Amino acid sequence: MIEPFEFKQCVSILKSTGKKAKNLRELRDAIAVVSDESIFHHTYQYFLKGHVLQYTNDFAHWAGESLEERALSEHLSNIDPYSFKNINELRQELLNVIDGYLEYFPEPREAMIGDEFYFNETITLIFPMSIRVKNLAEFLIAIKYIDAAAIYYHFYEARIRLGVDDFSKWIEDSLNKKELSEKIRSIDLFMHSIEGIRDHIIEAVEKDVRAGMEAIEQ
Amino acid sequence: MITQYSGISPKGDLILLHKLGEKLNNRSFLHINSTRAGGGVAEILHRMIPLLKDIGIDARWEVIEGDERFFDITKKIHNSIQGNFENITEDMWHYHYEVNRINAERLNLDADAILIHDPQPAPLIEFRKSGIWIWRCHIDFSNPIKESCDHLLRYCQKYDAAIFSVAKFARAVGIDEFIIPPSIDPLSEKNIELTNEEIIQTLHKFQIPHDRPIILQISRFDRFKDPIGVIKAYRLVKKYNDSILILAGSPATDDPEGEIVIKEVQDYASDDPDIYILLLPPFSDREINALQRAATVVLQKSLKEGFGLTVSEAMWKGKPVIGGATGGIPLQIVHGVTGFLVHSVEGAAFRIRQFLNNLEMTKRMGEKAREHVRNNFLITRQIRDYLSVWYAMENKGRSILEL
Repeated sequence: MIEPFEFKQCVSILKSTGKKAKNLRELRDAIAVVSDESIFHHTYQYFLKGHVLQYTNDFAHWAGESLEERALSEHLSNIDPYSFKNINELRQELLNVIDGYLEYFPEPREAMIGDEFYFNETITLIFPMSIRVKNLAEFLIAIKYIDAAAIYYHFYEARIRLGVDDFSKWIEDSLNKKELSEKIRSIDLFMHSIEGIRDHIIEAVEKDVRAGMEAIEQ
Repeated sequence: MITQYSGISPKGDLILLHKLGEKLNNRSFLHINSTRAGGGVAEILHRMIPLLKDIGIDARWEVIEGDERFFDITKKIHNSIQGNFENITEDMWHYHYEVNRINAERLNLDADAILIHDPQPAPLIEFRKSGIWIWRCHIDFSNPIKESCDHLLRYCQKYDAAIFSVAKFARAVGIDEFIIPPSIDPLSEKNIELTNEEIIQTLHKFQIPHDRPIILQISRFDRFKDPIGVIKAYRLVKKYNDSILILAGSPATDDPEGEIVIKEVQDYASDDPDIYILLLPPFSDREINALQRAATVVLQKSLKEGFGLTVSEAMWKGKPVIGGATGGIPLQIVHGVTGFLVHSVEGAAFRIRQFLNNLEMTKRMGEKAREHVRNNFLITRQIRDYLSVWYAMENKGRSILEL
């Protein structure tokens, strides 16, 4: 019997830490001491915003847009938070990149007033959406209509829990479709908005469903 | 009631509202502010209280009473918290406290969660009996006059948590601080769908032709909303694109400076028959709705702004908005996605021309603007966030909560 896939969703409530940075040195010093939750929010949860594509975390975004330190934003954008065992390793890598940059460019500009970096953190509420699917066709319909926050939960947040996304895991484990599973797993999570991720999943699943319908039974 | 939002608000928000309603079923939730009518806080509370009741929360709304002196003092406190110097004496602070003490005797402060809106009723915390007390700050607390800040903090620090509208409006108070932006109600008179006929009728009522693109700014006649800058931008546009400009807002009859600004704007626009300056009476919600829907491009060219919910109102009608990069406007306008942020008259003019000359882009960005508001700035999201904060405070210390 196939284990159904149950869609869940997460919602984040934003908290202010009261800390802010107006230049790169202040950003660096704050990154060194802010809570793990704050680092988590500005890196892992970056894609919850949905529409930003140019960078892969809030630090890179701020360095590029507010400080106009494009080279630094490129370095910071290349940090993959999922490749670290814990937040402290990620924090250290952020510091290494910024320290390296400061060695070559010791006097970067200040952000304009009101455009400082504000360190926030979140409380995340996770809840079921009362949608269960038992096969790929049902999955395809659901994936088209669920909220973007459900895609975020199963595609991004799952990697923290499981190391892989929930969708490809279910497709492989329960539906035994390894090829489709790998196709979904290979979608570059840093290069798309959540809607872009949704489109890629739909495309891959639709292709598989269509192939199944057109197959001639011998 | 909440079912009316099905198909409008994100499904996940409605599911979470029901789940939180189940968790907090029959628990009491008291809101206290200082006015029953006028202003965004009262507008939202009028709609929010019935919706909270609908999902099983025992919600109440109380208003503190005070005399002219009290409100004169609280206006000074309000201004000084936003960074404008006011002479507030010890005696005035004492009066602020005393009026709250008298209100505390009159009001039933027993509730499981108590949300106190803004500085006027902040001292009520001194009379807490039970429940979680949260101070909701609707104004910019980032650069207050120090003395006022210190006085107010004596109260704020006794709360369990504080809520600010935008991260940059917050200041470290030493308690849990949440960021919850305000919201619009898609089912209110100001935002409900209107027929084309009604939109055209509204333009006729104000004798505005609809044969050319309309550029619109809805705002009070206040220098921080830069109405003169809007006219300057329009004049730069007019060299290239024949269009109409509407500046609409309620005349601030109790504000002498407002009258001066109206006069300045009227004088500045007087030689152009295509500029319409509309002084709307209070509660012209339906007319504002129609004007926003009639517009091709909406401006909110503020030089200083709180949150600027008129931006979300226009975006909800599928209009991309050109806004000043100040206050809460950048939270609503994602530059190049849901509208444009500008820093000058020239910038505003350039972006207006872009919209007028590329209607496909205008439409596409307008659609994204509406979706951005749907996902972030509807009343259901604000209620969801208030209940989430309450629930989070009852589960303090946990950053992930499974329902």
